[in-house]
Amino acid sequence: MTERANLHSLEFPSIYRTIALYATIPILVGSVSVVAFGTTITGVLNHLPTATYDVSLSFLRMSAAYAASLGFSLAYGYYAATRRTGEKVMIPILDILQSVPILGFFPVAIYFFVDLTPAVSWLGPNLASVFLIFTSMSWNMVFGVYESLKTLPAELREAADSFGLRGLQRFRRVLFPATVNRLVYNSVLSWTGGWFFLVEAEIFTTNTQPLRGIGSYLSFSASAGNYDAFLAGVIVLAIVIALLDVVLWRPLGRLAERFRYDTAPSGEGELIVHSREASGPFRRAASYVTRGVRTSVSWLSTSFAQLASLTGRPTRKPSEFQRSALYNLALGTILVLVWLMLIAITVAVFRVFTGPISASVRHQIQLLPLAMAASTGRIVLAYAICLAIALPLAIYVARRPRASRVGLPIIEIIASFPATALFPVIIFGAIPYLTAQGAAILMLMTGMLWYLFFNLLAGVRSLAPDLEEAARSFGLKSRQFFRRVLFPGLFPALVTGSITAFGGGWNTLIVAEYLNVGGSHTLSVLGIGQQIDIGYAEPGGTALMVAALFTLVATVVAINELIWKPMYRRAAERFRYD
Amino acid sequence: MALIRVEHVDKSFPGRHGSISIMQDISFDVKDSDFLAIVGPSGCGKSTLLRLIQGLDHPTAGRIFFRDQPVEQVCAQMAMVFQSFALYPWLTVAQNVAFGLEALGWPKERIAAQVEKYVSVTGLDGFQEAYPRELSGGMRQRVGLARALAVEPAVLLMDEPFSALDALTAESLREEILQLWGDPALPPEAVLLVTHNIEEAIQLADRVVVMSRRPAHLLEEVVVDLPRPRDRKSDAFYALTDRVFSLITEGGTAPPPSGESRGAA
Repeated sequence: MTERANLHSLEFPSIYRTIALYATIPILVGSVSVVAFGTTITGVLNHLPTATYDVSLSFLRMSAAYAASLGFSLAYGYYAATRRTGEKVMIPILDILQSVPILGFFPVAIYFFVDLTPAVSWLGPNLASVFLIFTSMSWNMVFGVYESLKTLPAELREAADSFGLRGLQRFRRVLFPATVNRLVYNSVLSWTGGWFFLVEAEIFTTNTQPLRGIGSYLSFSASAGNYDAFLAGVIVLAIVIALLDVVLWRPLGRLAERFRYDTAPSGEGELIVHSREASGPFRRAASYVTRGVRTSVSWLSTSFAQLASLTGRPTRKPSEFQRSALYNLALGTILVLVWLMLIAITVAVFRVFTGPISASVRHQIQLLPLAMAASTGRIVLAYAICLAIALPLAIYVARRPRASRVGLPIIEIIASFPATALFPVIIFGAIPYLTAQGAAILMLMTGMLWYLFFNLLAGVRSLAPDLEEAARSFGLKSRQFFRRVLFPGLFPALVTGSITAFGGGWNTLIVAEYLNVGGSHTLSVLGIGQQIDIGYAEPGGTALMVAALFTLVATVVAINELIWKPMYRRAAERFRYD
Repeated sequence: MALIRVEHVDKSFPGRHGSISIMQDISFDVKDSDFLAIVGPSGCGKSTLLRLIQGLDHPTAGRIFFRDQPVEQVCAQMAMVFQSFALYPWLTVAQNVAFGLEALGWPKERIAAQVEKYVSVTGLDGFQEAYPRELSGGMRQRVGLARALAVEPAVLLMDEPFSALDALTAESLREEILQLWGDPALPPEAVLLVTHNIEEAIQLADRVVVMSRRPAHLLEEVVVDLPRPRDRKSDAFYALTDRVFSLITEGGTAPPPSGESRGAA
């Protein structure tokens, strides 16, 4: 039955339920805080003004980055979708760029922008952080614009041609509206990821010259043991995120409903798994936000899937040669060489400023492979733990409607809060209990868990119901069911979830492995993130920083090309329904 | 005087192993006051032919003329009604109907008046501010029809306009088309209907162009000179549908009903 979801009949969500849901994080954190650290209400209230000020600074950075991202995505996505070079060149470039751990570049970016603006001391780091968030926001938005233009139903394009619509009119009436849908929910997920990275970036700056914002605020509060202030910061951040949601994203989501393709001729264009939940008014109003949060962690899956099918020619199975290890190895090597070139240029530039590399730094550089291995090991361990949590949880939530109705909104709202904001308390509060390695792994997990969970959830949900029915009618026992039906069916989602989870993990390294707030040494475990940070923080260490960054990027890209992408291709081939 | 002349048109598409020929040596005319139907098996390129005629695509060989001018770009004196309606989900009914007029650069007041007129003519009164998703299939196609008529085309091109509708809705829309066609005050001057439904073709059209399987060539032009409204149960009607059916399935081996068809050149 066609959902008559016109705007006129949509009720507004119960305001109390909304508040209750959004209060989850502050309540959770608050209770722990009161119990473990003895915070008081008056103490918290005292710190609200400062916290608000700092959050506003962060918010300004986010907005600037988002505005730039929006303009860039529309231009780049439109260009890529309408020119031949678009598919051949522009999209593959983005594909590679998106797999690079953006946070790793933050130190370099700081250097670059600070050099660029020597006169104004605060401008450099701010520009660096805005640039960082801009890049993290842009990839999925560009892909969103590109995909929505590419999957515009042929008839709509033909109708525009047939009636002679051209130029600006065509853009206003046909092309731009076609992208609104994807732009809105990609914006939601961009902001979710953006908060995570921005807070992480601000925390990172506390190593040397702190950037005033919520991240540094939380860092300093936690390191000084001032949990009243910390809690105040968490509360204000949660309020801002909730406000944005209620005031901006939900109304936009309802507006964007108008731009959905209702009938599905071939080329519907949306890879969102349609929710099987009851469509009460609250769910419908929240659908965009929750969908955005849910898919915020799976955007890579859409881009991978669409890239495979949208190159304008009929999909071709990769040839024997393309699938061979030799080809992938060659490709990986070429990519590594390209990066080598870029980094060599960067190093050369730095050489001019920093002089010859001292012996101690040279020694550190030799440690890099070991550091890389340590980081990889940590990430793999964090991944395994996340998998052990996410898989059963996803299966449980997806298959029990009551659990999903109650638990899912809570999970989604928790996932929309940047976990990096809690890092300072993990570092300063939890290390005595967890050891430094444990704390590092815990932090890595927060950057990886949601990617895995939401992808697996979507995977379980997308299992065609008739496959399940067939299993039941043939009397398949539980174990057989899991082995023959559920797990194979989950494999593609598992692969994309793992790819994105690892991506999240790489990005979290620079604060999970080393944090030195205001000069009092507090966290340092051997790893590539740590090396980047040390290189950044210590005088004369820029060569180390750049070399460590290069090692990280080369490893990540190699892993992506040699492990993840072939696995994804195999998943796409063997487990497609058509 | 022929409004449209299709002369020896070939069309092929590049395929994986060389080019695939869709149609060969298609020639026919569309005259003023013609209601022409093009029928043929699925995939024989009827829809492609329609697009060639408007200029959305170009033939590999041969030429197409509109009022003696070669069709090189999209012809603005023709308007198309699409199989899956092709309505823009983010535009209201009124905005969808106004679509072609905006492209032609008409001033706002004229557009509004024209939209009102054709919304009325197609029975969409009261739905001007509705969105396509709120309409049934039949209503949506009426919007498509209104949109096409609003630009007052000389030729109305219809690409399997009723195949996405259920039988009852399709039937009532056919009646409406006939009513509109019978009204001399309304455009167009000629209608070109592509369909795979033989009965529909015989019911609506004056001439039926029968195409073969791919690579399509013209099998025959069957003239339907029964008076309207046509009785689908009459012997003459059956004879014609039989004739077209056998042409399509056997390539034309059954004998023509006497005096009622004209073979292709």
